[in-house]
Amino acid sequence: MSVIQCENLTKSYSKIKAIDHLSFEIEENKITGLIGRNGSGKTTLLKMIAGYLKPTSGELKVFSERPFNSLDVSANSIFLDDTLTFPDSLSLSDILTEVAPFYAHWNSSLANGLFDYYSFNPKQPHSNLSKGSKSTFNSILGIASHSPLTIFDEPTTGMDSAVRKDFYRALLKDYLEYPRTIILSSHLLSELEEILEDILLINQGTKLLHLPALELKELAVGLRGNAQDVLSFAEGKEIIYREEFVKGSLYVVIRRKLIQPQFEQIRQTGIEVLSVSTDDLCVYLTAKTKGGINDVFNKG
Amino acid sequence: MILNTDSMKPIYVQIAEWLEGEILSETIKEEERIYSQYQLAEMFTINPATAAKGLNILADEGIVYKKRGLGMFVSPNAKQSILTKRRSQVLGQMIKELVMEAKRLDVGESELNRMIQQVRKENEEEQL
Repeated sequence: MSVIQCENLTKSYSKIKAIDHLSFEIEENKITGLIGRNGSGKTTLLKMIAGYLKPTSGELKVFSERPFNSLDVSANSIFLDDTLTFPDSLSLSDILTEVAPFYAHWNSSLANGLFDYYSFNPKQPHSNLSKGSKSTFNSILGIASHSPLTIFDEPTTGMDSAVRKDFYRALLKDYLEYPRTIILSSHLLSELEEILEDILLINQGTKLLHLPALELKELAVGLRGNAQDVLSFAEGKEIIYREEFVKGSLYVVIRRKLIQPQFEQIRQTGIEVLSVSTDDLCVYLTAKTKGGINDVFNKG
Repeated sequence: MILNTDSMKPIYVQIAEWLEGEILSETIKEEERIYSQYQLAEMFTINPATAAKGLNILADEGIVYKKRGLGMFVSPNAKQSILTKRRSQVLGQMIKELVMEAKRLDVGESELNRMIQQVRKENEEEQL
């Protein structure tokens, strides 16, 4: 069953299209990573799904309903980002108490357990928290809500690496016990890809890829070696990325399935066949030029 | 075990190989129940779909089998079939690479044999 259905969805801010004819579906109880560069439309998309923003055109259904102004969608979803604010009259422990009645599946013992684990001061107001602590606190709300649709927009902003690992582990453990639909947005895929089932990669408001995380890892390979040898194999195939290290030596990234049958032959030529990290691959796929930042310096 | 996320080997292959290791060392014996996809997901902090794919590799090779409603179990001849497979695939691949590298470095057949004998001898001496 699809929890989110999206067809030709468009959101314009005056003349700029933040989301441009986007179509995809997200199935129930999957963890999906929404990946994209800065300004690619991730937050706009998530805010439409959560019902905070109204689509300009196209169709968006969440739990088979239009999310904007839908009480049903609100009751069954939670959206967390780093702009979340609470009144200063509430302390952190007040917030945990007051938030609970809004979420039917709220797990207060889990919320308190995480709250104590991270050693929060119960009396502190939310606005005094540091950037990282705010993200940590918000993650408690997201996990403990047990919302059928849980959306985290850049959840690890400002978290140190120990807390990041704890967050992903806590989220996965809780998900195994209470499966639900989870979307996490990030521009850094490597730190969360192991817990993802699917990846949705968007760029300039359009969909580039929507596939199982396992397949992304095997989508492309890098070839490195003598430029002529490398080109003889890469010839006629779409080159996702190319970089010249020194004169005569070339690194290219191409789709694995175009070249897999020739692996043996390629290795025998002395060319290295390398795996491409998913982070790098996403950067290459969303790049405007094939040579990256080097192009700026290589003019003339 | 710590998963190597930079490796050319996908995570689910690493999971399958780890399970094979557990069977070879008899931590999990033949006809015993193997970890479920959810246990593996929790152990390695990975998505259960990834863990399931690792288990499916072993099921496709007949190393584990499904008992309806009870989960996955280690097949009666699992240990032997892992050994046979590793000998032909893993060792075979290593030898292929060894021969290729030797060729690239201009190491002849007798020289290569001598180097293998040398390592063998060193290993035996260490064990004494």
